Amino acid sequence: MIQKLHTLLGHTDKVWSVSLHRTLPLVATVSSDKQCRVYDLGSGQLVTVLDDTHKRSICSVAWKPTSALELPALAMGSFDATVSIWGREDHEDTGDDWNLLAIIEGHENEVKGVCWNKDGYLLASCSRDKSIWIWETDESNDEFECISVLQEHSQDVKHVTWHGAEDLLASLSYDDTVRIWREDDDDWSCVAVLNGHTGTVWCSDFEIQTSQTARLESEANGEANGEANTNGVGRETRLVSCSDDTTVRVWNRVAISSSSAFRTNEQWEQQSILPQIHTRAVYSVSWSPYSPRIASTGSDGKLAVYRESAAGWVVELVQELAHGIYEVNSVAWGRLGELEILVTGGDDGNVHVWSVSN
Amino acid sequence: MSDPINANPSILDENAMPTRAIKGKAPVVDRNIQELFAFSLLHTAEPASGNVPALVSDTESEQEEEDPIDSQEIYDLIAHISDPEHPLSLGLLSVINLPDIQVHDSGDRNSMSEVVIRITPTITHCSLATLIGLGIRVRLDRCLPPRFRITILIKEGTHQSENQVNKQLNDKERVAAACENDQLLSVISQMLATCK
Repeated sequence: MIQKLHTLLGHTDKVWSVSLHRTLPLVATVSSDKQCRVYDLGSGQLVTVLDDTHKRSICSVAWKPTSALELPALAMGSFDATVSIWGREDHEDTGDDWNLLAIIEGHENEVKGVCWNKDGYLLASCSRDKSIWIWETDESNDEFECISVLQEHSQDVKHVTWHGAEDLLASLSYDDTVRIWREDDDDWSCVAVLNGHTGTVWCSDFEIQTSQTARLESEANGEANGEANTNGVGRETRLVSCSDDTTVRVWNRVAISSSSAFRTNEQWEQQSILPQIHTRAVYSVSWSPYSPRIASTGSDGKLAVYRESAAGWVVELVQELAHGIYEVNSVAWGRLGELEILVTGGDDGNVHVWSVSN
Repeated sequence: MSDPINANPSILDENAMPTRAIKGKAPVVDRNIQELFAFSLLHTAEPASGNVPALVSDTESEQEEEDPIDSQEIYDLIAHISDPEHPLSLGLLSVINLPDIQVHDSGDRNSMSEVVIRITPTITHCSLATLIGLGIRVRLDRCLPPRFRITILIKEGTHQSENQVNKQLNDKERVAAACENDQLLSVISQMLATCK
């Protein structure tokens, strides 16, 4: 069952992306109106508006994966070719001052995606200039050093996604491919190319294993290092991707080979195509950290939820016209207490918070 | 532009452009019949919507059901866009043709509708095909109700980079980014200045 809990109003143009904080009940939303709005998920109240910085549409946003003991911070990428970093000033809820901490320049044109790695020390950004930049930073979030520029895509890079437990990066492109990157002998290299989609690949998300979810939860409760072994060795590593070709696909890593001392390769194969629900481009996917479910949204206005069962992936629910007659650009799973939620952002400028029963 | 890409395009007579013959009737496809009516000054096709639709249109006075929009109305909205290279409209140059416009619309403003337009560039290596397509998209984005999903394609076999142009014209992010480019927008504004 799916039920709308809140509608977060305020944006005056298309909402391109939503991001949920890992440990705090915060959602950040970005729009063509050049604003980032931060809301409290529980109450639906506006926390702050981050604006007057980007000159063009902001189309991506990502919270830094900080624990409850650290101050929340986020990155956003804009069509103005820059990435900005923002953070809350102190823990006191009174005042709630948010500051611009850094503006990162380097890309030649529109930045289309930003994502933090598992511990927040690396930030990846991607652009229409066909490149992916990896930036290194620390707790202060005011200095970002570029440690690698990856340029193997032949067209715009639409989105980047880090794995939740290992430093594995997926990039999606207008060239119809997914590329997987990892650090190899002090540099980053492409270890796999996932071919299969027949149109632009818009978005992807790694599966988060149960052990990782447990770690996130212990961190959310302020405990240090809930579980020591969280690198997922011996377990499946999977990625879901969605495309202009209207499909949602699940990919599985079948082998890591280090045949020579300098070069690591990974073998990935397409594990399944999820049941066909969408009739137009699928713009966003999210893999639930809490249940074996994937959500997808797209140009046809549908919000679909799929569940993995012994028999494979089945459609659990489809919310037609999730944002009325408008396209839905972004979807993300989250949790409010024991309740699993989905947050969606659409061309109507609205953000919906949905409860989805398990 | 000093060197036209196509210096001698074939041009349609203005009277040969398809129009709605009599208000309320289905669009007339037969060119001969159209020409019979063309001399009368009954150019009565109405624009789909006089105003740019608001992002969220919750006007209480609007009715749930409107008249469905048909291909003639779409044609009338875009046929008078100027070619970026010639002082002529896309209709006169037969870049836009009525039979190449498909519309699926119930008229219900609470359900999605679709329009697919296939354009015929005047020459197969026309480097302005993308600009023409973008101009059509901007015009329709501004004029059609928000329920419409717009697809603009190069008519099969009429352009050497057909797939490339199609992909670009229908990429939501690229179109959005292009529409934030002031230089490009001013060129498009000139193209749209001749719309009726």
